[in-house]
Amino acid sequence: MAKYPDKIDLYDDRGRVFASKVPVEAVSPLHNPAIQKIVSYIKQCVSVNLEGIEKALATGEVGGKWCIIKGRSVKLDLTKNAESIADSLKKCLQVTKDDDTEVKVLKGGKHLLVKVPAKRLNAGVEYTTGFTATAAALCCTIVENFKVNLWDADLIHAAVWGRYPQTMEPLGGNVSSLLSVPQQNEGMGYALRNVPCAHIALITKKNAMNAAALSAIMEQAAMFEMGDAVGNFERLHLLGLAYQGLNANNLVYDLVKENAKTGTLGDVAISTVKRALADGVIKPLEKKPSGYTAYTTDDLNKWNAYAAAGLLAGTMITCGSARSMQHCPSVFIYFNDLIERETGLPGVDFGRVAGTGVEMAFFSHSIYGGGNPAVFHGNHIVTRHSKGFTIPCVAAAVALDAGTVIYTPEKISGVVGETLSEVPELREPLRYVNEAAVSIMGGV
Amino acid sequence: MTTYKAQYYPGESKIAKNRKKYMDPSYKLKKLRTISDDDLVKLMGHRVPGEAYKSVHPPLEEMGEPVCPIRELVEPTPGAKAGDRIRYIQFTDSVYFTPLTPYMRAWMGHTRYRGVDIGVLSGRVPLEMRERDLEKVAKELVETEIFDPARCGIRGATVHGHSLRLDENGMMFDALRRFVFDKKTGEVVYVKDQIGVPLDKPISVGKPIKEEELREMTSEYRVDGVPFRQDKEMIEFVQRLHMLRTEAGFDPNKVKGI
Repeated sequence: MAKYPDKIDLYDDRGRVFASKVPVEAVSPLHNPAIQKIVSYIKQCVSVNLEGIEKALATGEVGGKWCIIKGRSVKLDLTKNAESIADSLKKCLQVTKDDDTEVKVLKGGKHLLVKVPAKRLNAGVEYTTGFTATAAALCCTIVENFKVNLWDADLIHAAVWGRYPQTMEPLGGNVSSLLSVPQQNEGMGYALRNVPCAHIALITKKNAMNAAALSAIMEQAAMFEMGDAVGNFERLHLLGLAYQGLNANNLVYDLVKENAKTGTLGDVAISTVKRALADGVIKPLEKKPSGYTAYTTDDLNKWNAYAAAGLLAGTMITCGSARSMQHCPSVFIYFNDLIERETGLPGVDFGRVAGTGVEMAFFSHSIYGGGNPAVFHGNHIVTRHSKGFTIPCVAAAVALDAGTVIYTPEKISGVVGETLSEVPELREPLRYVNEAAVSIMGGV
Repeated sequence: MTTYKAQYYPGESKIAKNRKKYMDPSYKLKKLRTISDDDLVKLMGHRVPGEAYKSVHPPLEEMGEPVCPIRELVEPTPGAKAGDRIRYIQFTDSVYFTPLTPYMRAWMGHTRYRGVDIGVLSGRVPLEMRERDLEKVAKELVETEIFDPARCGIRGATVHGHSLRLDENGMMFDALRRFVFDKKTGEVVYVKDQIGVPLDKPISVGKPIKEEELREMTSEYRVDGVPFRQDKEMIEFVQRLHMLRTEAGFDPNKVKGI
């Protein structure tokens, strides 16, 4: 029996209906098998830069840029032997013969996509197992396969793990996970939020709808983990995930379509209000002496979801028309200002997105350092304040950029984004979450 | 769907009405002066008049775009299509009855123009866009009633002056002396571009708007003009919003019909 009465219609990224009257809990991270798979894959999937290891070993440049150990060098043809390395690595990581371990050779042997078996993660309490098991198994594999002697084995370790454990993170290493080391999480449950938008945009191959969806899934799943989407606030986050991140009722797509050719951010705000009125989410409260009508609602959670969907559509119109990511903080502040002035109702996340926009605007416009929107994430000191409603819009903005920034998403993301885009559930989350929601809709 | 008329802004004072008017894109801003395209380009200082637009990436058609339903739907601006650099115009607005407050520049900019990136700081408001789109928008921002030559400054750097007293000619302080009052013609003349680089020829931006007119046109609440607290409807709006944000933060399920 569903906890909440809400039903949603599921749509794909092109505005085509997929299923109707699906209980909103079917897209909850607590129920939806595809979301759980995505979360699991984020822990299990690790990328290996074999070309990077080969270069580090050849030059002795290990543990970070310019850290060259003169006189130390091991010449190994790793990329040429990527297939045999992959086979040995798989055997080393496997817990049982037919478990879910996978090692895929990419880009002609330059990169490996490794999926560490779930059993290894289940045997521990930390998500870092994906990284540690892969790095350690890779060291063993290289030493074994290439008959590396006792005196060179330390260099293999440094080329794979980087400067760790002298540094907190594997600085200059060539194994990378989407997740950062736990010490870099700003609080409990922040792990899924500590993923820069550059990765999200590249994993989803710059499809703005899927970028927003993947980001929303990670942010809102984190809300459950952080203790935000619990009790009185669970429905707020469920509706936010459905309407903003997963295009429920085609709201985001419709709002974008309506304003696609000539619309401004203000037009999107007005379209959102119109839709909320038509759907009975808000209603007039009283007419003021000037003729201004203040609106009210009996369902603030749903109004928030509508406003959040409008915010994403506004980002897509503004950053999409300029094909530029830098506009997104301005959208976060002024979409909320405009919709609040239009209705008299609070903006997205009750003011927290607008506040996040103010900070992000400062730190993404070279005023006080920072970086372009591609480096921001939900764990970032200036963008962590909204509870999952800001970062999906940043991810969409990064996906829509045509090349206006000096540090491109490709440069920031490196191997990780490109490699993980090979995982279908991460690359096209909308499709898989919709399918999974339909498969369980009778049971929630 | 029922017809909906956009409201833009609450409040019963003339200030609120001015705000609403400027934010409403169906209201055509009155043109008060003409600045030639070349002069505007010189004032902003990003390129030499007649010079081709520099680009930050190839034209969209040449480079091709990733497969994305949103890119397919959303029409890029002409500047984005061509791959123009993103450039800016920045304004400083005096606290003495200028047509726009800093925040109004952002609200108005986002209701009237597409693909704009506007930031509001205490003494300056940058508006960033693709270069050829920016030149179009900048023209309206400088030629119409929302710009007063004496109390609004086009300032890319060293913007200080918005909260200082006006000088004997009614001009806002400018540490770089980019604009001067020409007593013979009664016009304000720019002798430097927005960054402060001297111009070959001075550029006139016309006569300052009279104080009485500015008091009617302004969107600034002031204790010696129309005080904020006199606008009961506006105060109620702000207080209600504050109450709703706070109540929602406590328990969104309890906010019903208020």
